[in-house]
Amino acid sequence: MTLIETANIGQKYAGQHILKGVSLNINRGDVFALIGPTGAGKTTLLRLLDLLEVPSSGSIYFDGMDVTGSKRLRLQARRRMTFVLQKPVVFNMSVHDNVACGLKWRGEKGAAISQRVSRVLEVVGMTEYSSRNARTLSGGETQRVAIARALAVEPEVLFLDEPTANLDPVSTSRIEEVLAHIIGEQKTTVVMATHDMSQGQRLASRIGVIMNGEILQVGSPGDIFSTPQNKEVAQFVGVENILSGVIVNRDDNLVTIDVSGSLIQAISDYHIGEEVHALIRPEDITLAPRKETSSARNTFEGRITRIFPVGALVRVEVACGFPLLIVVTKRSAQDLKLTVDKKVYATFKATAIHIIKRWN
Amino acid sequence: MKKNAVITILAGLVIASLLVSASGCGQPRLKVATTTSLYDSGLWDYLEPMFEDEYGVEVDILSAGTGIALEYGMRGDVDIIAVHSKAREEQFVADGYGVERVPFAYNYFLIVGPADDPAGIQGLSPEDAFRTLYQSASSPFISRGNDSGTHSKEKAIWASAGYDYEEVRTAGQWYVEAGRGMGPTLLMASDMEGYTLTDIGTFLSYPSDLELVPIVDEGAILLNVYSVIAVSPEANPKTNIEMANNLIDFLTSPHIQELIGNYGVSQYGEPLFIPCAGAEPTS
Amino acid sequence: MTELWEALVTAVKLIISFDPEVMAIAGRSLAISATSSTIAALICLPLATVIHFNKFRGKRTLINIVQTLFSLPTVAVGLFVFVLFSSAGPLGGLDILFTPAVMVIGQVILISPIMLGLTISALSGIDKSIADTAISLGASRLQTAVITLREARFAVLAGLIMGFGRAISEVGLSLMVGGNIRGFTRTITTAISLETSKGDLELALALGIILIVIALIINLVLNRVQQK
Repeated sequence: MTLIETANIGQKYAGQHILKGVSLNINRGDVFALIGPTGAGKTTLLRLLDLLEVPSSGSIYFDGMDVTGSKRLRLQARRRMTFVLQKPVVFNMSVHDNVACGLKWRGEKGAAISQRVSRVLEVVGMTEYSSRNARTLSGGETQRVAIARALAVEPEVLFLDEPTANLDPVSTSRIEEVLAHIIGEQKTTVVMATHDMSQGQRLASRIGVIMNGEILQVGSPGDIFSTPQNKEVAQFVGVENILSGVIVNRDDNLVTIDVSGSLIQAISDYHIGEEVHALIRPEDITLAPRKETSSARNTFEGRITRIFPVGALVRVEVACGFPLLIVVTKRSAQDLKLTVDKKVYATFKATAIHIIKRWN
Repeated sequence: MKKNAVITILAGLVIASLLVSASGCGQPRLKVATTTSLYDSGLWDYLEPMFEDEYGVEVDILSAGTGIALEYGMRGDVDIIAVHSKAREEQFVADGYGVERVPFAYNYFLIVGPADDPAGIQGLSPEDAFRTLYQSASSPFISRGNDSGTHSKEKAIWASAGYDYEEVRTAGQWYVEAGRGMGPTLLMASDMEGYTLTDIGTFLSYPSDLELVPIVDEGAILLNVYSVIAVSPEANPKTNIEMANNLIDFLTSPHIQELIGNYGVSQYGEPLFIPCAGAEPTS
Repeated sequence: MTELWEALVTAVKLIISFDPEVMAIAGRSLAISATSSTIAALICLPLATVIHFNKFRGKRTLINIVQTLFSLPTVAVGLFVFVLFSSAGPLGGLDILFTPAVMVIGQVILISPIMLGLTISALSGIDKSIADTAISLGASRLQTAVITLREARFAVLAGLIMGFGRAISEVGLSLMVGGNIRGFTRTITTAISLETSKGDLELALALGIILIVIALIINLVLNRVQQK
């Protein structure tokens, strides 16, 4: 089932280590999202996986074959995959001819080409643009043509490097629709790089988080999202409350953590005396003007220090012995009459806290 | 579709071009190197078709300075040369490059200059005229300044007048070395209101207006004899000696000699050449 | 001023009357330069792609030399070719001196640096991502070279036109190796040279005007092809 496997590969450019000790495997049928901030090494890793470059250390296997060194084997394997660049480049010819290029180069003939091209243009929704010169298209349209062109040759693996990074929100959702359709219909293995965590969540079946050239965590979107393994991953996936403390009590798997004098209760297997981080997602905290009785174990009184709206939500910063960031809907913010300096009570369940070993 | 039509037409033109460019290869031809003064008179254009018809051969006439013509002959790049520099021609034959020097026509050089003759050399002998020009050093004299027959003649006159040519070259700004053909040299003399030595053929047949008139036209030294020399097969085995000899026979034949003697009369009022096959003049 | 006007009038008369001698030398100029341009293009386009797409030691130096050769004086090339093909020279046995064929060879030598240099320049102007994209779609090295040339076609064609322009306008080479033989190797430029030295400036200017008109027509045609 493993289609591509890397064993401890590294890559150097001009003396700099861009990738270190990356061991990954991509399974047939996976939709694998490689997530990380800009400069993390996503493009480099993608190019290595597509066998466009040779790693400076380690080995790569495609469909069971070691393709690290052999130029011939790499070429063979590469022909079964295609790559869509971050800023895709279209040739100075019609959309139809662009999409047909890969097929022509592989020796396909006229009628078969036309058929395949129209089918694939339909998938990406660009049928009306067939005879237009590809250079006259907008960013989103160009991206769709590039995807069509890559799909036309029916690759076993489709690589996409930040497919929506340069697009406006409307074009972005259009592309995501196309990708979702491809994933659903074509059963192609997809490997995409993105810095947008939520995009990865929407489209991928597996996620790999990469930072500073190293893979920090690989797992399903749910895993990464709710149980990030370290601080960097946590911050990247949007866990914005990272509290440092030490376990002072333990009762079965219910632990009490001392965080700057306040006591928080959470579920964990760690022992008394261990230094830990408590991770809480801003959406998992509720605010109330009065202390409410609820099943939640953790309630803290505090003062609102900052409020600012972000889109349809409102971010509220509260000081309650330790800083907390809470996210509520605009409606809630209005209903609760939230203002700076107001006294509020922040509440969160023990189960909403994710405990990881302290890292700094 | 229109694009394909254009490409097809272009391709057709290219193929036609290739055919033109490859033409003439392998055909037997007679290559003649002749001096510019003889060529510019138009005599060759007049005689060439007659010769080609009679002998059924393509004649290639290259017009070049006497020096270059002799070089072509030495290298075997032409089959026959027609120039007007007796001393160098005799050397050419003596060195084994040419078979025999055959004079076939002559005319005279003349010194031309501005109508008002500022240097006052009208009516003098060529040598005296040159002496006067040198000593007064006021009116410009335009020399051919190249390897031509005319230039050789000019140098001969300086020598006859008692001057070392190197002295003359460095004598002053009045002595101008044009380094050009006879036509441009005449034009320069006309523009600069100066004097120059020219053959009568080029002078009479010059198409544009020149501010020059004949000033000195008498003197034995002004004799200008044209000879034709076949390139020697001993020096250059591949030379077309047979056809070269035909041309010599042609030029020295009585009929052609008569035509040469009449050439230019209707256009210029006087003949440009005097035939002299077998009877080279000495004065 | 009247001289120029007279020349223009003469030029028009010669063209309209289809003067046979002028037609012949114009056709010859075109034929020789078209042939040499085509041969040079067939050599230089593939050579340029090979140089552009490969890394090798001395590549920068090679390109510098090519660009230096843009300024080859036509008389210098003429002298070189003359000495080569003269009866007394190494290739004299071919017996093509003073024929159109040797003029073509000389022009090919003359314009190849320009065509080569400008084509390499044109290819360098195409982003590497074009080649990368082609490779990722499965193009072979040859197919990648072809698509890059296609993308650069505007600039490549400009280089070809430039080469043709240099060929059809040169005098020094044609005079030296062609000999300016009437009816055989006389071209417009060598005819201009001859008429000038004979003093017929009006005719020389008229021929010059005709040459420019030919060049203009060629350019217009090639431009239409360039647009598509």
